[in-house]
Formats: sequence, structure tokens, C-alpha cells
Amino acid sequence: MSDAKAVADRLAKVKRLNALLTPLKDLRKSLAAQSAAARPTGVLYGMPVVAKDNICTLEFTTSCGSRILEGYRSPYDATAIAKLKAAGAVIAGKTNCDEFAMGSSTEHSAYGRVLHPLDKTRVPGGSSGGSAALVGAGAVPAALGSETGGSVRQPASFCGVVGIKPTYGRVSRYGLVAFGSSLDQIGVFGRSVHDAARVLSVISGRDPRDATCEDRDPLRLPTVPESLQGFVVGLPREYFPPELDPAVRRACERAIRLMKEQGAAVREVSLPHTAYAVPTYYVIAPAEASSNLARFDGVRYGPRFNGSADVRALYRSTRGQGFGPEVRRRILVGTYVLSSGYYDAYYRRAQQMRALIAQDFRNVFDRGVDLLFTPTTPTPAFKAGEKLGDPIAMYLSDIFTVTANLAGLPAMSIPIGRVKGLPIGGQFIGQAFLEDEMLEAAYALERVVPAEDEA
Amino acid sequence: MSVSRDEVLRIAELAELDVDEETLPALAEQMSRIIDYVAQLSAVPANGGVKMFVPGPDAIRFRADEVNPAPLAFGPAEFAPAFKEGFFVVPKLGQFE
Repeated sequence: MSDAKAVADRLAKVKRLNALLTPLKDLRKSLAAQSAAARPTGVLYGMPVVAKDNICTLEFTTSCGSRILEGYRSPYDATAIAKLKAAGAVIAGKTNCDEFAMGSSTEHSAYGRVLHPLDKTRVPGGSSGGSAALVGAGAVPAALGSETGGSVRQPASFCGVVGIKPTYGRVSRYGLVAFGSSLDQIGVFGRSVHDAARVLSVISGRDPRDATCEDRDPLRLPTVPESLQGFVVGLPREYFPPELDPAVRRACERAIRLMKEQGAAVREVSLPHTAYAVPTYYVIAPAEASSNLARFDGVRYGPRFNGSADVRALYRSTRGQGFGPEVRRRILVGTYVLSSGYYDAYYRRAQQMRALIAQDFRNVFDRGVDLLFTPTTPTPAFKAGEKLGDPIAMYLSDIFTVTANLAGLPAMSIPIGRVKGLPIGGQFIGQAFLEDEMLEAAYALERVVPAEDEA
Repeated sequence: MSVSRDEVLRIAELAELDVDEETLPALAEQMSRIIDYVAQLSAVPANGGVKMFVPGPDAIRFRADEVNPAPLAFGPAEFAPAFKEGFFVVPKLGQFE
């Protein structure tokens, strides 16, 4: 039982971050029960893992950072949670996030913003900001998040931790509250590549309850390679624009040099449709969200807000008051681009552009490139409030991450240096279902990169 | 502005979402900026040519046609706002056009 107490104490110590939504009293009680029940033979025996609040858990409420699901308790565990428990891990509470995973700063939560673990005036990134902040603060070794456009990699980069988004179809989404169904994947955070990879390996693999989860065995963990001999790493020129933050560029150049020193062949490549990725994403994701979020209407889950005059008034007032401003904005944009008269101009064009973006990656991988290396984000963590008034500026912080979601590819961020104390992340983008190759490269880079040093 | 105040109200009705008068001008302005921004996608050739893309397997995998219950730890009475005798209770239906 002392282990359960130690886990709760570590989380209590970083309460100021507002990263954990589970009340500490409930957490202590649950941790004691879970520790007693955990299987000692599991590969993650005793490992505390926190989960983003859009992943359903029996133990704790699942609010998605929204008022519309305040107090909601799921009657089942998500498959990823069930697999973690079966492996002996303990679920150490639910983490704060942007409402329904819509945001890049964890400022759009109905339960207040999450603070960056190293600088309280800055954001931890988002939308899985609570998970990233708790791993970054050293409170837990690993966490689950979710990705639709970079919501694991971007906060991992900001908080100086490892974040992995697996291939679309690698991890079951049963029990992940849907946002953009053609984009969503559960992802993992870890203090190290190994911690994140171990958790990913456990939650991956087939699930009869999710038809979009591929019929494959769980990911097998690669061994740490001796060198990067034989690896061809592509550097897409569109990801190193002239306006890139100079410290981010320096950190990337240092990482590239270190990969070369380990024997990797490095080649400049081009992904010509990159500039269209953010507009494409901001048509497709809101369109899918407007449809997925139609189920929240005050009838089946969560609280009900006024409007008892008739059922339609109930829907409208519950949705109008239950959703926050960013979610309302995206539902409206999504409804707009799908509405008659605009569908061809926006939605169909976005789907076509998505095909071109995916083809860009195939072209590069077909020419002998094993994986790509880029900055994860254009800048380190920005100030709280800095981008709140400007949705487009906020959206552009995902410019290097959305492409992997659009193309369904695996990608990850690892810490590669700092600027004025703030972490910088480097991103690997791999080929579909070749997470093992991507992890090998990440293991090799992690071993030599001075992640704590100024770039 | 590409999205007018009236258009926001029409879209909000389609989305079953109350929008209050005070936030309407700001919402129309923000939606206009977002729609203008994504309009750069018109660079894609309009007439076919490019196929749509959805990740995942090319064909849907069929399951055996048998009932596989996913047991719930508790029923809707525990999480629905109003639930009675096996039904979700709602106010009267009102006017649907």
C-alpha cells in the first residue's frame, strides 16, 4: 500500500499545475484498491499511468474537459485502459485537457488552464496538456493522451518529454470519446523513449470492439541499436522554413549532426503540399467533430441545461451552455463546410488535398527514405493567453504535426535541447506500422542528444 | 466578411446550438477568418482527378454474425439526466419543421 501512497503524494505535490482532474481523495482510495488487485506478473506491474479525460475509465469520471459531461461516469473501461490494467499498471487519475481535445494549449478546458511544469506563465501545449505536464513534472513515468492533429507530440515537445502517436489503426479506440474519427488515435507520453514505448506496446493490437483497429499483434519493442548505420533519414525542406525559431533550428541541426555521427544517411526531401495541411485539417476535423458531437444533447449523458419547454429547446440550450467557445466555434465551422452549397468548395477539396498530402509521404518513402526528421513545433512553449484571441495563430502551432494525422502515419516527439530553459522537441515521422524502426532511431538519438542543454 | 450574422444563426440552427446575441458579432468575425483561411484549398483542381483518402485498410473487415455482448458495469439510470422504466425521459417534442 505504501506504493499507492507514494504515487498519490507525488501527484499531490504538483497540484498547482491543475493537470489532474481526479480529486486526490478519490485517487488515494482507488489507487489502494487498484494496487491490491494488480497482477504481479504483468509487464507494467506497479507502473502508475494517468489518462487524458477523454478516455473512458470505470474508476473515475470522464468529462472531456467539458461542462456538458461534468460528473459523467462511463459504464466500461476503454480497451487501452483495460489492457494497461491487465498488464499490472495502475490508473493514477484523469488529466485535464482542452475541451473534447480541441485546442493546442490546454487553455480551452471548462476546469481551468493547465500550467507549464517549468514556467507557470506559459502553456504546456495541448490538447493533452495535463498528461504532458504530469510526466514533465516527474509525477508519473507515463501517460495516455489522444491525437487528432498533434495533441500528444506538441505538448510532449513543450514539456520536454517523449510523445508517440501510433499509426492509425494500431491502437483500439474503443472508449476514446470521438472527435475526428478519420484522424483520432490514442497516444502515449513517457519520461524516456523506453517508458513510452513499453506503454504503447501494451495498449496496441487487435480489438474486436473497434472495427478501425487493425487485426495485428501488439507492437514488439525493438532493441536499442548499436548505431544508425543503414538508416536513411529524410529532412523535408518545408519543415525548416526561413521564419523557424533560430533556437529550434539550432537544436534540430545538432540532432541531425548527431544522427550522422551515428552512421545515418541524411537526405533533403520535399513534401510539396505541406502548406495546405493546416487548412485541410481545419475543414476535416471540424466537419467530423460536428457530426461526432451531435450525440451530446442533454438526453443520454451528463447534465441538462434549462430549456424544458420542448425537446429542441433542450438540445439547443444544453449544447449552447454545455460547450465552451472553441468547441462551439468548431461545431459551427464543421456544420458550415458540410452544409449544402459549401460541401464541394470546402469539404470535398479538403479530402482531395488530404490525398495529395498522403501521396507526398508515399513518394518520399518509395525513394528509399526510412523515416523523416523535423522540428515538432515552430517555437517552444508560448505564453498563456498569447494566442487565445486568434484561432488561426493557435491552429498554426500544429503546422508540423497535422500532416502525420492526415496521412495516418506514426510519429513521435523527443526532447532535443532547450532555449532559455524551455524544452525543444524533434519529430520523427515513420512509415505506416513501422513504429519499431522509428523507435530504434529515437533510442539512438536519445542516447546521445544533450536534451537538457541550451541549443 | 464571408460569414454574415444571419448565416451564423442559420448554421447554429442546423447544429442545434443556442448562440446568444452578445457573442454573435465576434463569432461571425472569427468564423469569417477561419473560412477565408481554409479557402486557400481552392488551389486543388475542382474537377475530380484526385481521389479521396481515408487511412486504414482498403476493405472493411467483416465480423462473424453473432452477438458479442459488451457488458456494462451499470445502466443508463446512473448516467442519464432523466431515465425511467427503461426510457430516456425528454420534454414534449414541440414543433419540428
